[in-house]
Amino acid sequence: MHGRRRPGIAAALVVLGIFLCLFPGCGDLSRDELNRGVESLSALAAQGELIANGVARDATKSTYTRVMAKTLGGEAEHEAEKLADAEPEATVKSERNAAVHVAAELADLFSELQTFPGDEHHGVLVEKHMGEVKEQADAIVARLTGEPAK
Amino acid sequence: MKSILKIALGIIAALGGFLDIGDLVFNTQAGALFRYDLLWAVALGTLGIAVYAEMCGRVAAVTGRPVFDVIRMRLGFGPGLVALVASTVVNLLTVAAELGGLAIILQLLFDAEFSLFVVLAAIGLVIVVALLPFGGIERIFGYCGLMMIVFVATAVHQSPDWGEVAHGFIPSLSSSKLYLYFVVGVFAAALMPYEVHFYSSGAVEEGWDKSSLRENRLNAAIGYALGGVLACALVVVSGYLFHPLGVEPGDLGTVALPAQGAYGETGLLLALGGMMFCVGGAAIDSSFSASYNLAQFLGWEWGRYRGPKIAPRFTVSWLIFLFLAMLIVLSGINPVEITEYSVVFAVVALPMTYLPILMIAGDRSFMGEHANGRISTTLGWVYFALIVVLAVAAVPLLLMTNGGGG
Repeated sequence: MHGRRRPGIAAALVVLGIFLCLFPGCGDLSRDELNRGVESLSALAAQGELIANGVARDATKSTYTRVMAKTLGGEAEHEAEKLADAEPEATVKSERNAAVHVAAELADLFSELQTFPGDEHHGVLVEKHMGEVKEQADAIVARLTGEPAK
Repeated sequence: MKSILKIALGIIAALGGFLDIGDLVFNTQAGALFRYDLLWAVALGTLGIAVYAEMCGRVAAVTGRPVFDVIRMRLGFGPGLVALVASTVVNLLTVAAELGGLAIILQLLFDAEFSLFVVLAAIGLVIVVALLPFGGIERIFGYCGLMMIVFVATAVHQSPDWGEVAHGFIPSLSSSKLYLYFVVGVFAAALMPYEVHFYSSGAVEEGWDKSSLRENRLNAAIGYALGGVLACALVVVSGYLFHPLGVEPGDLGTVALPAQGAYGETGLLLALGGMMFCVGGAAIDSSFSASYNLAQFLGWEWGRYRGPKIAPRFTVSWLIFLFLAMLIVLSGINPVEITEYSVVFAVVALPMTYLPILMIAGDRSFMGEHANGRISTTLGWVYFALIVVLAVAAVPLLLMTNGGGG
């Protein structure tokens, strides 16, 4: 079979090429899917804010903070990879890029919580940054849905 | 005083059985998504399990027969075998979910590898069951599970709009598929089949007879009412804290966050401790239930009180169920996902569990003067109709909502 031409595959590639030229805006990440992904990021940031608040108030247990930060950070990282790998519709490309940035920032913040689960000073900073990241995520959702940010 | 001590069975059934990982997950998610709107479904489920548990306990006390014995007797071998297979699959998934939940909580408390805690949790359960008598298991898990009261205290501390909370107890339906999925989930989490299997077999283990009927009523009423209050508290604290922030509690650890918010580290430790004993108790209940069902269906000697020498097949099957559950969790499947599937698939198996109970409890030739009265009969059939409707709707809703993911 090696080296033998496959006219079926060649034809399919030509059709795919024509399709991509004619419909360059059709990606595998729709506006709705992107919106759901960014809402998940906002929810993760809200959880992160609550956990960081516990650290800031010295009102939590280090093991709990570390494990939760690891789990939620992993989810943020996974979301970042998923969004970065997806081909977005042309109209939401800039929002997709912003979402990837938010997800990466979120993963970094969780990583910081994981490293300093008992440091109140870091807790205060991370709580503040988590709030800002949540605002960024909510703003993306607002731009995607046309509704005002929460 | 003796009666108060004797309601231990009801308390463990309510905390270790009623309030298990399914309730923790579904009730917290329901509060986060729909605030207090699903409290009515929790209350409805609580009344349902109390009604059926009372029937099971009464049948066991009057006839000395536990649920699966009754199922085989009423349905015959073929349909009984179908019920056995369905409930065994659901029980195995439930044991896996509870074991995984227990490992997650241990990890949150002590921070080491998850797989290590899965193995340690399984070994710990074997040791507890090997060393303690049935009553001791009940008391340890039941009473330590009372730490979950921290969620009631948290709800009071949060001071929500109680009018809005009360409004949540008024049944309401929505065309939202996600809402309907959570109605099914919250209701089913309250009525998991293993709860009645364990309750009735536990009654036989404790040697109940007709003189235990009052105790049975107290267990069903007080135990499950307490479980219902705690389940409602989970919805309220989650609705108050998570709903406005848009938090999606997909992790077991998130369930404890409201208690930390209210009472700091002490609240967090009480919440995690209560969850640990509830989930640990449920792991024992559900693994016992799987073995009870198998032994009762096949006519083996069974019961913790008989010990491994007299009931070896029962003991070995219990260990095998626990081992299989451990393998499922170690395969890497998320225990919260296993929980969601076990709860939804349990709904499908519910009619096969509850119909034979309803029929035998209402049979005067079998139960004599202790057969269902008018109220039990009416409530029993109303709940059975509800169960059938939910059993039909459960899997399509699971698929349409992508497992509650929207």
